[in-house]
Amino acid sequence: MTSAPATQDLALSARGVRMEYLDRGTRERFVAIDSLDLDIKQGEFVTIVGPSGCGKSTFVKLVNGLLSATEGEILVRSVAKGKSDAMVFQDSALFPWYKIIDNVSYGLVCAGVSKKQAHERAMPLIKLVGLGGFENKYPYQLSGGMQQRANLARALCVDPAILLMDEPFAALDAQTREVMQAELLRIWRGAEAEGGARKTVLFITHQIEEAVFLSDRVIVMSARPGRIMEDIRIDLPRPRDLHVKRTPEFQEYQEQIWQLIASQLKAAASQFGGSTE
Amino acid sequence: MTVAAPAMTSRGPERSRRRIKIPNERLFYAVLGFVGLLVIWELASNFDLDPETPGTQGLVKRILMSAPTLIWNAGIEDFSSGVIWPHIAISLQEWFYGFIISCFLGITLGLSLGWFRRFRLATQPLVSALYSTPTIALFPLIVLIAGIGLESKVILVVLASIFAVIINTMVGVQSVSWKHLEIASSFGASQTQIVRSVVLPTTIPFILTGVRLAAGRSLVGVVVAEFQAANQGVGFYIALNGQTLNTARVFIGLLLLGGFGIFVGELVRLVENRFDAWRPSIHR
Amino acid sequence: MTAGTQMIAVTSNAERHRSRLPRWYRRREASILSFSGLAAFVIIWQVAAQIGQLDFTFFFASPTGIIEAASKEVQLPRFWDDVATSAWELLAGSGVALGLGVPIGLAIGWYRRVGFMFDPWLNFFNALPRIALLPLLVLWLGLGTEMKIAAVSLGAFFSIVVPTAQGVKTVDRNLLDVGRSMDASQGRIFTSIVLPATVPYIISGIRIAIGRGLIGVVVAEFYAQTKGIGVIIVKSQQALNSDRMLFGIILFTISGILLSYATSLLERRFQKWRPGQDMEE
Ligand SMILES: Nc1ncnc2c1ncn2[C@@H]1O[C@H](COP(=O)(O)OP(=O)(O)OP(=O)(O)O)[C@@H](O)[C@H]1O
Ligand SMILES: [Mg+2]
Repeated sequence: MTSAPATQDLALSARGVRMEYLDRGTRERFVAIDSLDLDIKQGEFVTIVGPSGCGKSTFVKLVNGLLSATEGEILVRSVAKGKSDAMVFQDSALFPWYKIIDNVSYGLVCAGVSKKQAHERAMPLIKLVGLGGFENKYPYQLSGGMQQRANLARALCVDPAILLMDEPFAALDAQTREVMQAELLRIWRGAEAEGGARKTVLFITHQIEEAVFLSDRVIVMSARPGRIMEDIRIDLPRPRDLHVKRTPEFQEYQEQIWQLIASQLKAAASQFGGSTE
Repeated sequence: MTVAAPAMTSRGPERSRRRIKIPNERLFYAVLGFVGLLVIWELASNFDLDPETPGTQGLVKRILMSAPTLIWNAGIEDFSSGVIWPHIAISLQEWFYGFIISCFLGITLGLSLGWFRRFRLATQPLVSALYSTPTIALFPLIVLIAGIGLESKVILVVLASIFAVIINTMVGVQSVSWKHLEIASSFGASQTQIVRSVVLPTTIPFILTGVRLAAGRSLVGVVVAEFQAANQGVGFYIALNGQTLNTARVFIGLLLLGGFGIFVGELVRLVENRFDAWRPSIHR
Repeated sequence: MTAGTQMIAVTSNAERHRSRLPRWYRRREASILSFSGLAAFVIIWQVAAQIGQLDFTFFFASPTGIIEAASKEVQLPRFWDDVATSAWELLAGSGVALGLGVPIGLAIGWYRRVGFMFDPWLNFFNALPRIALLPLLVLWLGLGTEMKIAAVSLGAFFSIVVPTAQGVKTVDRNLLDVGRSMDASQGRIFTSIVLPATVPYIISGIRIAIGRGLIGVVVAEFYAQTKGIGVIIVKSQQALNSDRMLFGIILFTISGILLSYATSLLERRFQKWRPGQDMEE
């Protein structure tokens, strides 16, 4: 409930976040995230990369209020009172029993909007993500890429303060993935054109290239327990298209992040007494 | 260019040509199987080794096996004289009450057992013991408690069928995906919204499977109850005619039960299809 | 940015539901709850029976009464005769059902046309409570053991045939194509691909068949009333001895539990995946 003057233009502020899981069997405490500080400005596109199991998904769930932190505090800018306005957007997570239109308008219906109105408000977003004409299909009738578009539309539909995206493109093939990355930036701008303010995005991925291509900032997390190792500003001009991936600046960013993660992997490997190469 | 290639044999077209011969093969063979057996049955029962004593010396003893024509005639007789209607009515009544109670009670219990972990754990030994018991063995006990009227039969029908509903519903609730629950709560869904948008859609196919099984088991309950203690009902009609060597009428009773079983099964299947729109259909 | 917006702390639902129960309890919650649930049931029943609250006209069994009846029963040679009879009926009946059901199910699944021919009859018998055939069996076989074995196998037979045929029909097409592309003979394809793929289905059929067979034993013994555990139950009812009656019922419960345990052992041995439960009827 604190609202310091310095946080005026922040969308998210995490201070000293520590997350422990309790193992049901052995009753041991397992530290997934330790002393994590992160500020995200409004309208920023921030991506977190890090080795598998370093607590990226855990952090997203903390922000979304699906888990609660053991220590520390997470503040989120919110229009609605009492409820965090951020949305998770996980890999292929549509409700299989709802048509696309009902999936996309789900958040609105949950917020108490009538079904008819919710449908009306969902239609422009379905068109925005390029699914016009598919609104009455069931998820199984759509390809993986199309399902992810619907998934994105569902998250955008509630007009969240922060769009949380946990490895949304992980299950897609390489080509579809590239297309979807460009699409995401297009939709991000499109939403901006429609709604006014730029949407704040917190994006999680394993792919360094994807992170650099999409983001204003890339956060590199260390292996367990997850801490922030490096916070890298990506100064590539926007709007970007896929050609930007061929530029030397882009490759440099990629190389820099790769070095950071590789050092983590080596550290992890030497812990188990093995070597990486 | 002119090298003699090994002969190319095409396998595909040949096969499909063979299939075209009979437009509806499935129906053809089904009718063949059905009619064929009836004809064999009829012929066998008419083939008397000793014409002096018809029906006792046959290849198939007619008095024990009856015959399709005998069954047909007896059926006409009993339906036109109306003696069979009260039996059907009383059995339907027992079945209906038992089945409905089973469905309501079973779904409620199954949902609570699936949803409330502690409730499930506390009742687990009792539920699984009852589930493993052939519940119709409880009939003598029910008769002691509730007499031999309609109540005891309905109780037996419920006992025979309710576990199919309970267990299927419970498994359905337990198979609700954690991911879907997370999505719902991330969109701020209330408890009732979660139940309506996630728990029920996942569970309904399981519930309907349970209901379909329960329909058949309720019929078992009706028959067993009427075998044991009754002076009316289709089960009684079968038992009585069996004891009086009225074999044709035993078969009439069996036809009624089987026909009703198929009818109810198909009815539930229709409802199941209605709820299956969101699944990829593998059969078409 | 926008006036009126503010930073709020994220709170989760989980926070409100976090359990405050002691550690030792949480660690063993499952067994503690199961045991106390059962114990509570038995104690309440015993107390109720003791103070006469459970007095439904003729029903006055109690846990201790059942144990007493059981200890008397097990000393009688007749009791063991009854148990042996019921066990033999179940065993022989299930054996017949398995011996006939598996080959017939395989044939129905493998030869498309045979399947079509049997379809109407299978549907009919599947929808019919097979127990209704009992009067016919009595006509044909009398009141003796043969009749009961037939009743058990009729009950179990269709639960074996249907899943077996289903198993053959759902054998992975790709596997069959592999076999065909290697020019394997029909017989070879059948024994090396179809049969192994069908075993899990047969076993899940056995699980259902056992329940059906047990029902067959009970109803046949109720109906004929010559020998067996079912007869103990009916005779106790006629003598208004509810303790002994419940003992008989519990014997069926125990056999049901043991047999389903035995099947799960079989399942664990053979079943790599579970076929849908839909095949029961
Ligand atoms: N519910 C849970 N209970 C116990 N431990 C958990 C739970 N969820 C995650 N963990 C552990 O916490 C650590 C972080 O998990 P998390 O899912 O956040 O990793 P991640 O960074 O998203 O990994 P990935 O990149 O593979 O998705 C992992 O080591 C995991 O084993
Ligand atoms: Mg993750």
